Amino acid sequence: MLDVYGEKFSNRLLLGSAQYPSPAILSESIKQSQSQIVTVSLRRESGGDLAGQAFWQIIQDLKLKVLPNTAGCYTVKEAVTTAHMAREVFNTDWVKLEVIGEEDTLQPNVFELVEAARILVEDGFKVFPYTTDDLIVAEKLLQAGCEVLMPWGAPIGSGRGLNNPYALKTMRSHFPDTPLIVDAGIGVPSHASQAMEMGFDAVLLNTAVAGAGDPVAMAKAFNLAIEAGLLAFEADPIDARDMAEPSTPMMGKAFLS
Amino acid sequence: MKIFLNGMQTQVDHTELEAVLVQLGYQDVTIATAINGDFVPLSQRKHTQINEGDKLEVLAPMQGG
Amino acid sequence: MSMKVNIVGAGVAGLSLAWQLAQQGIEVEMFERGSKVGEKACSWFAGGMLAPWCEAENAEPVVLEYGKASLVWWQNALGEDFVDAKGTLVFAQQRDKKELKRFARRTHGYEVVGHDVIASLEPDLASQYQEALFFKNEAHLDPRKALIRLSEVVQKLGVKIHFEQEIEPEDLLPEKVVDCRGFNGAKALEGLRPVKGEMLLVKTNEISLSRPVRLLHPRIPLYVVPRDNQNFMIGATMIENGHGNQFSVRSMLELLGSAYALHPSFAEAEIIEMGVDLRPAFIDNLPRVERKNQIWRINGLYRHGYLLAPYMAKLAADSIINDKDEIEKLADFKLKEDRA
Repeated sequence: MLDVYGEKFSNRLLLGSAQYPSPAILSESIKQSQSQIVTVSLRRESGGDLAGQAFWQIIQDLKLKVLPNTAGCYTVKEAVTTAHMAREVFNTDWVKLEVIGEEDTLQPNVFELVEAARILVEDGFKVFPYTTDDLIVAEKLLQAGCEVLMPWGAPIGSGRGLNNPYALKTMRSHFPDTPLIVDAGIGVPSHASQAMEMGFDAVLLNTAVAGAGDPVAMAKAFNLAIEAGLLAFEADPIDARDMAEPSTPMMGKAFLS
Repeated sequence: MKIFLNGMQTQVDHTELEAVLVQLGYQDVTIATAINGDFVPLSQRKHTQINEGDKLEVLAPMQGG
Repeated sequence: MSMKVNIVGAGVAGLSLAWQLAQQGIEVEMFERGSKVGEKACSWFAGGMLAPWCEAENAEPVVLEYGKASLVWWQNALGEDFVDAKGTLVFAQQRDKKELKRFARRTHGYEVVGHDVIASLEPDLASQYQEALFFKNEAHLDPRKALIRLSEVVQKLGVKIHFEQEIEPEDLLPEKVVDCRGFNGAKALEGLRPVKGEMLLVKTNEISLSRPVRLLHPRIPLYVVPRDNQNFMIGATMIENGHGNQFSVRSMLELLGSAYALHPSFAEAEIIEMGVDLRPAFIDNLPRVERKNQIWRINGLYRHGYLLAPYMAKLAADSIINDKDEIEKLADFKLKEDRA
C-alpha cells in the first residue's frame, strides 16, 4: 500500500487531469488507470459562464482523492496564496507544491520551494513538493516538515523518462523510509516501471497519458506497468552480470561426444 | 467604483466582498478569492471590504498536472 | 408539406437547419439576436476549414465519418464554386519534426510531399519547408461569405429571418421550435461548457497562399487560412475555462509568433481584426440534437461548426419532419470500444 500522510492507497499511479482531448476521455482515462489520486489546479473563473464548475463536477463524480497543484507559481507568495485558495476550493489540506524557476525547463526553484514548504507546513498543509533529485534540497524539504518527496524524472511534459537514474537510485537509498514519488518527465509505461523497480513508491504523470493517441488505452497501460514494476521490486530482481551464466542445470548432463 | 476582477476593470456597486461576488454572478459556486494577492477565506467574505482599484482574483477548479 | 418550424439563432447551426427544412418545402421563421448575419455568431470567427482528416488527429472518429459529407453539402447549398477544394498542407518547423511524425501517425488520407510538390502547391513556402503532409481531399470556405450566402439562399426559399430578436424558445410554443443559440443557449443544456477561441485577421501582400496551412507546434498548433484581398485568418486558441471577450497578450504572442515562424513575411502584415468567442462543447466535444416535446436543440458544435452543422441539420430535420423521438447520438467510439 502507498502510505502518504497517514492515508493508504492500493494504486500507485497519480494522474494529472490536463490536456485530454475531451472531458469524457479524461474521465474514462482516470477510470481505466485505476488511479486513486488525481491532480487538479485553479484558474480564473468569470461570473458569466462559470466554466470551472463543469470540470469540478466531473472530478467529484469520480470520488477520488484530489491533489491540487500550484502550477505556474514563480514565488513563495504566489504559491502560498494559491495553496490556501486550493485548500478552500477542494476541501483538502494536500497540496502539490510547484514553484517554478525557469520557463524553458520548468525547473523547480528549490530555494523558494523550501521556503514555501516551510510556511505551508506551519499552516497545516500536507505538502507534496515537486523537486529535483538534489539530496540536500530533499533534506531541507524534510526538515521543513514534508513527509513525502516528488523528484523529477525529467522536465515537465518532456517525456524523456528518468534522466538521471543514478541520482534517483541514490535518493532512494538515502531516504529509505520517506515516500518518494517520481513526478514529471515520464513518456512511456516502461519509464514508470523503471521507477517502481528502483523502489519508488509511486509515479505522477499527465502528458504521457493525455497526449497519447488513445489516452484511455495508455492509462490502462501505465496502470499495468506500475503494478508490474512494483511486483518486480518486491520480488527482489537479480543483479546484472558481465558474463553469461547457464540457466539450465548442468548436473547430470549426458556426454554424447 | 471600479475594481480589477481577474485583471479586468469591472464596475461594482458594493464594498463588501460577499455582495460584490453576488453582483458579479458568483452565487452558490465553488470558488476561492484573493484581494491584492492575499487569500480571503469564505468565512471572511462578509467582513472584507473591497476598495477602489483593488485587484480581486476569483479562482475555480481547473485541469492540472 | 404544411408544417411550420421556428429557429432561434441564425449562426451556422440555425442556417444549415433552415436550408435543410426549406429545401423540403417547410415554412421556416428565424429569430436572431444580432442586427445582421454573423454579428453575434460564434461561427463568424471560424476558420471555415472542411478538414475532417486533420481534425481526426484528436477528435472522435465520428467527426471524420460525418465531416466528410459536409463538403458536398456546402457545394449543394451554396454552389460548387463556393467551396475551395484544394486540400490542406501541414508543416512543422525543423526542430518540431517529431510533431509532424506524430501527426502523420495519428491521421490518414494524406501523402507525404517534398520540396517540389510544396513548391508547386504553395510557392511562397517552398524555401522554408522540405517536407509536408498534403491532405488533398480537404477543403475550405470563407465562413463569413458562407453565412451571408446561406442566409440569402434560405430567404429565397421563403425563410423569414427576424433580426434583433432575442427570444426564448419557450415563447414560441406551441409551434415547433429549434434552439440553435450556441453557448448563449447553455442554460437549457446540462454540461455545455465554453471553450474560448481567439483568432486574428491580418493583411499582407508579401505572401500568397491558396489553401489552409497548419503549423504543428508542441504548445499551440496554428492554422492560417487565406481569404480574399490578401487577408489571412490566423487561428485559433483553445482555452478551457475561457471567459470574457478579451484577447489576451499571451494568445496574441503565441498566434503571431507561430505565424511569423510559418513565414517571416507575416511580420510585416497589418492586423485588421481580433476576434474572440466561446465555442459551445459537451463533455465528449461532440454535437447533439436533443428533443423535448416541441423544442429541439442543436448545440455543442465545438470547433466543428462548418464540418458538422450539415449532419446535425439532417438529424434534426428528420426528427422534426417525421416526428421522431429517437435521435442518433453521435458515438464516442474512442470510449465505447470494448476495453475489457
